[in-house]
Amino acid sequence: MSPSVAAAPTTAASSPILSTTGLSASYGHARALHEVDIRVGEGELVAVLGPNGAGKSTLLRALLGLVANSGEVRFRGASLPRQNAVAVASRGIVLVPEGRGIFGPMSVADNLELGAYRLHDKAEFARRRERVLTLFPRLKERLGQVAGSMSGGEQQMLAIGRALMAGPQILLLDEPSLGLAPRVTGEILETLGLLNREGLAIVLVEQKAPLALKLANRVYLLSLGRIAAELDPRDITSHDDLAQHYFA
Amino acid sequence: MADWSYIPQVLVSGLGIGCVYGLIGIGFCVIYNASGIVNFAQGAFVMLGGMITHVLLARHGVPLPLAALIAIAAVALLGVAIERIVVRPLWNRKATMFVMILATLAAQIVIERLTLIAVGDQPKTLPVFTDRPPLMLGNVAVGYQFLWIVGGSLTIVGLLAAFFSLTRTGKAMRACSINREAAALQGIPVSRMLALAFALSAALGAIAGILITPTQYTAFNVGVPFAISGFIAAIVGGFGRPFGAFLGGLLLGLLQALAIVVFGAGLKNVAALSVLLLFLFIRPSGILGAAK
Repeated sequence: MSPSVAAAPTTAASSPILSTTGLSASYGHARALHEVDIRVGEGELVAVLGPNGAGKSTLLRALLGLVANSGEVRFRGASLPRQNAVAVASRGIVLVPEGRGIFGPMSVADNLELGAYRLHDKAEFARRRERVLTLFPRLKERLGQVAGSMSGGEQQMLAIGRALMAGPQILLLDEPSLGLAPRVTGEILETLGLLNREGLAIVLVEQKAPLALKLANRVYLLSLGRIAAELDPRDITSHDDLAQHYFA
Repeated sequence: MADWSYIPQVLVSGLGIGCVYGLIGIGFCVIYNASGIVNFAQGAFVMLGGMITHVLLARHGVPLPLAALIAIAAVALLGVAIERIVVRPLWNRKATMFVMILATLAAQIVIERLTLIAVGDQPKTLPVFTDRPPLMLGNVAVGYQFLWIVGGSLTIVGLLAAFFSLTRTGKAMRACSINREAAALQGIPVSRMLALAFALSAALGAIAGILITPTQYTAFNVGVPFAISGFIAAIVGGFGRPFGAFLGGLLLGLLQALAIVVFGAGLKNVAALSVLLLFLFIRPSGILGAAK
């Protein structure tokens, strides 16, 4: 473990919103995640970094129960069901998956509505939608458009907007920058930073470390399916520092 | 030599049966979209729709509209039961498409045999819904049951379109067919949507059976031929596209009717299966292009 753990300015130790103990996951016989322990504090933005194939996506998929897994995941103190993504999502643990998973043939408005599938309070629905359209004004112009015909950046905004419609307790994002132009990525990460400052707990999986480091309160480095280090981003002043950890 | 003056008359009856094939085809698509399963118990729903209505009407004196509604509800429940008892356990075990087809075919045979034991092998029919002489358009006779079939089918198709595009449940079912995992991540209960798809599909089959029975007859073994025709309709329309399946049904009904004029009634199924083979060879994605 990194010596910087003690210095990390985290509330996670006192009141984690989400924590895992010995979380392992496998695809068939291939084990992709080994006994991972992480915790996310209330209002914290935790970045999970690591090279391709380190198990970052698997970690998020295991949290939701989308992949065969063992170990424990606790959400606000209560144990979560392990193989039932619908039940996990219904508690407000909302994943924006890799590749975005928008409903391409449906309209932007329908995609947003389905994000709030379990919400039946019309006033609250309107409030959340207004909020999403304020955060991503570009979606407002495209409400009637078929979602799959939008640009990659707009689709990512829709995926995040749809997740926000669920009123998430914690938002998990799997490489939101994938395939996007730097300017759009910047815009999206800025919005995530804003949401976090308003108190939303976020877990951000990224391959592009510098982007995530700007926002994160705390960083886990994942390597070969294990937590290689837990870092305070303020201690990482240069690329070399991070590279050292990557290859340590 | 065929008598060509019959053609308009034949086309009318082809259109009627085509609507029924279309409804059955939509039933295939609704389940396929929700689960990727081709449900060959679809024919049993059609047979039972007509049969249960007949039994309620003839043996228990229930008025026709009420008997039809009870039959539709009962068959929808049976659809959910098949989903729970036959399909769900296999689905949870990630059974292959091949296993699913055999399992639903087995369910079809069980229902068929139970019906044989319950009501015997004699054909049964229903009275026409409106008992009046046919309307004459020129020298083409248009029966009132034809109007019921076409009007009923179009109403159902319209209601389905509204359900899938306007209601949250309908949109959620579409979302499951587009990306089941992403649907689950929104908290959409994907397995309940599968049960709902079976209920909807069974109800469609039952409605088709009730509409067509007065013009033909029903018996314990009419299910499979209807299922095959509905399946062809779905293939022709582009599997997984409900409205394509309806068009496919109309096309198949018309072609079958023409085949009867040109080649004789004995070859009507040959014509239908030829259409199936032709589409599988030349355009397997159907007229509208298969979903996904």
